[in-house]
Amino acid sequence: MRPEDVRVCVMRIEGTNCEDEMARAFNAVGADAEKVHLKQLIGQAPSGLRRSLEDYDVLAFPGGFSAGDYVRAGALFAARIKASLGPQIKAFVEAEKPVIGICNGFQILVELGLLPAFEGTMTDCPTAALYTNDSGRFECRPTVLRNDNNGKCLFTSEIPKRKTLTIPSAHAEGKLMSSDPDFVQRLEDNDQVVFRYVRPDGSDADYPWNPNGSPSDIAGICNPAGNVLGMMPHPERVIDRFTHADWTRGYVTEEGDGKCIFQSVMKHLERM
Amino acid sequence: MTCGMSRRDAPFDLCDISIRDASDEDLVKLSADMSLGLSADEMRTIRDYFAKEGRDPTDVELQALGQAWSEHCCYKSSKPILKEFVFGLDNDRVLSKGDAGVMIFDDDYGYALRIESHNHPSAVEPYGGAATGIGGILRDVVCMGAQPIGLADPLCFGPIDREVDLPPGVKSPRYLMSGVVSGIRDYGNRVGIPTITGGFFFDEKYTGNCLVNVACLGIVAREDLARNYAGGPGEVMILIGGKTGRDGIHGVNFASADLTATSDEDSRGAVQLGDPIMKEPVMHACFEVNARHLITGMKDLGGGGLSCVVGEMALDAGCGADVDLEKVPLKEPGLAPWEIWVSESQERMMCTCKPENVDEVLAVFDMWDVPATPIARTTVEKRTRLFWNGEKIFDMDLEFLTGGPVYNRPYELPTPSSKDGEVFPEIEDDCEAILAMLSDPNVASKEWAIRQYDHEVRASTVIHPMVGPLNETGPGDASVLRPVPGRMKGLAAAIGCNPWFAEADPYRGGMAAIDEACRNIVAVGARPDAFTDCLNFGNPEKPERLGEFREAVRGLGEAARDLGLPIPSGNVSLYNEAPGGHHILPTPMILGCGLIDDVRKCITADFKRLGSIIMVVGETRDEMGGSLLFRKFGGEKGEVPETDIPRLKRLMDELLQAMDEGLVISCHDCSDGGIAVAVAEMCISGHIGAEIDTSAMPGEDFRVKLYSESCSRWIVEVDGADVSRFMQIMNGDAFPLGITKGDRLLIKDNGTEVPLDEMIKAWSEPVWNIMGGKA
Repeated sequence: MRPEDVRVCVMRIEGTNCEDEMARAFNAVGADAEKVHLKQLIGQAPSGLRRSLEDYDVLAFPGGFSAGDYVRAGALFAARIKASLGPQIKAFVEAEKPVIGICNGFQILVELGLLPAFEGTMTDCPTAALYTNDSGRFECRPTVLRNDNNGKCLFTSEIPKRKTLTIPSAHAEGKLMSSDPDFVQRLEDNDQVVFRYVRPDGSDADYPWNPNGSPSDIAGICNPAGNVLGMMPHPERVIDRFTHADWTRGYVTEEGDGKCIFQSVMKHLERM
Repeated sequence: MTCGMSRRDAPFDLCDISIRDASDEDLVKLSADMSLGLSADEMRTIRDYFAKEGRDPTDVELQALGQAWSEHCCYKSSKPILKEFVFGLDNDRVLSKGDAGVMIFDDDYGYALRIESHNHPSAVEPYGGAATGIGGILRDVVCMGAQPIGLADPLCFGPIDREVDLPPGVKSPRYLMSGVVSGIRDYGNRVGIPTITGGFFFDEKYTGNCLVNVACLGIVAREDLARNYAGGPGEVMILIGGKTGRDGIHGVNFASADLTATSDEDSRGAVQLGDPIMKEPVMHACFEVNARHLITGMKDLGGGGLSCVVGEMALDAGCGADVDLEKVPLKEPGLAPWEIWVSESQERMMCTCKPENVDEVLAVFDMWDVPATPIARTTVEKRTRLFWNGEKIFDMDLEFLTGGPVYNRPYELPTPSSKDGEVFPEIEDDCEAILAMLSDPNVASKEWAIRQYDHEVRASTVIHPMVGPLNETGPGDASVLRPVPGRMKGLAAAIGCNPWFAEADPYRGGMAAIDEACRNIVAVGARPDAFTDCLNFGNPEKPERLGEFREAVRGLGEAARDLGLPIPSGNVSLYNEAPGGHHILPTPMILGCGLIDDVRKCITADFKRLGSIIMVVGETRDEMGGSLLFRKFGGEKGEVPETDIPRLKRLMDELLQAMDEGLVISCHDCSDGGIAVAVAEMCISGHIGAEIDTSAMPGEDFRVKLYSESCSRWIVEVDGADVSRFMQIMNGDAFPLGITKGDRLLIKDNGTEVPLDEMIKAWSEPVWNIMGGKA
């Protein structure tokens, strides 16, 4: 596929608020990104505005506070999507098209059952949840991520293994938890761990480098097939160097650390 | 009551009130009974108006007058002073002075700026008061057609680091601060607009009346710049967004009187309830109808609710309006017409459009699931008329209604603090003094609040509120946004205010607020372009309070005028007095905006390298009045720092030239605690020590040189190889101060050593420890 033919659906409802930068991030790597309201995908819009999910090549869930997050983060949006668009989303994932959820988007993917999805593409009930940060507070701060994926995740295909990226976090609920006692081990066994929080020197993170207390410092995971990625930090906020928090202290490239994730998707689709 | 109030025989709640024969005493009682907040004089004017009309008013009409003639809405005490010093400030870069000011950003875009206060609601209900303050300021920017891009929140509270005597009905400063920060966090983060800068000011004088000022910046394509009024008669007014309820009734009257011991019980209903998740789609839909040029004007519903917005949108277009009040969607049944007319329920906007576009406008709002209801039509005659299912309940001349009284109230000019009777405190140990100043809550790290605010959402924050190595940051100056994706032009924003200067010398304090905003903006490499001001003062009916107001406004107005910079928007908040008549520090809060052509040239305050030369730019004088050192260690009187505008202009030009040539490695504004604290802060954010020596600076007493807070000064880090070029540009305005070196701050004048790790600890930990520590 040529980059300009790649159509990205950036899905929004009331309360999503990172859709502009998500669309810009995909546009920055040459794709054609469109912000699409859920209502446009489920026939609740005037005919000229209606869209069909199957016409897109990538599906992106941006950050925000979908429907206010007054229940569990992501829960309301996920319930609305599942009820109205569930089969289409499942088909989209089964067609091995890339799906990314960032921050609230990650929370939505977990609530939808698309992550971790140990059994099947989309579990009926969520099997994990993103809990309130250990600090009990919203945390907006730089975090350093290490690519811990062994090759399954298509979103890190262009990122060297163990490479660290500085990608900021901004959330109140980012601690990935599951009632499954072997949760982390199963993720490891399936090569579903994608990013871990680390210190800038690559060593194990503690607070604030792990801003939420997530077990095993997990910041992002993919599904067993590797085409669905959910992560708490915001790569779409660091597409060039000048939105990094410390760029005035020196830099080698004007490219931002988040761009390689979007480039990986494009490289993957180029090979299709 | 002697003013006969007769319930009209109608299927709704309406009273006709006979006032045409009422005595002064009756009128005053009526004003109190109906919570109108109007004086005997004002009530007499109203009585005479209705006598001339040949009928008695309805309760809706009297309530509308109470709103329109409040200090909050008509600026009756402040207008003459603002007219004299501020209103005329203009330049050819101003695109609009609507609900928000709009300035030229570049050939294609304008940027919007506005600040306002939400003080009294926040004193009663800090979480809701602050949250709805954010909501209101966002709407002011949205109704210019501008996408909000950044929020800034300067806040003033009583002391948080010690127990204070709380007057009856007053909440503890820590409780207020916690609630206000949570309110800003939850609203700002939910609506997805970054909170990029702000400020915290702590003083006993704010204990009884905290200040919550909220500012917003926006960006708008110049062709989409919206008007805040109708296009002419024959148009339709469409009410957008939230439903109308009993929350926020009499908010403007509450804002136009002193707080009392029972404000909590009496005025809880004046605080509105916010809904950020309604705001988000309201914004999207408003931008869409505006960009498609389907509407002729839009305006937010703030103070006074419908009663203000309908009249203003009509009158500014030279027309009037007929309103079908029963069409307003309600949160609950049973609201009386007057309650609907004055309710300040949140998340509401009004737009006007040609009749032929109504269906298309409604379709856009429907797509976003935002309620939108046509409720009125603009008319040729300049009158507002209200109907309830066709029955007329309100019919008033708009120029009378919105004209409002204006008062030239008596004022008493303050005696400024001077060198006469100055007491310079004994400083036994400068190391201890510096550490104590760094840990004063007015100086110490506000990371506790800053990291609860999403300051990066929208992915355009180039210079962040804290600077230095990741997660080991120190204080910044201005924050910088890159508002237009794909363009490198930057918009810098910073707060300027020193209420202690303003107390000791209101005129110089007003000027110093402008100077500080400029210093912060220049410190990051941007050129100051415009200001917006929030003037928080006490009761204007007290001559000494009004004298402070007048002098501070004169100071900031003259400073802006002499800089050639406009103040295209602003807000006045008077009656900031606590039970027992305790007044706040006079607080002229300034938000300054600056522009930089290429954000890649921005500078931050953290020391970057060992072995650099440290210079002080600007003149350090014996101006200790209002200084942190005096406040903390018992100093008295003293000259308040004076701002010399021609010198400020020259210094800004020189420093920006040096920055443009790439000669400045780091730069920090010199303010609270003087050179000593400014250098210490650069050490803290850069994790690098410094050796300084004030002997190369003009002046006698090294402590005056270290701690004086003279205006128009910066500390800069310059590479040794660039010093001669730097000095050449600065042309005698920069003085060598020392070098970056080691892991301590060494003051060679008397051998004082302050270890870096102690400075970091002293500065970083206090607010965390007070407000709730790190995990």
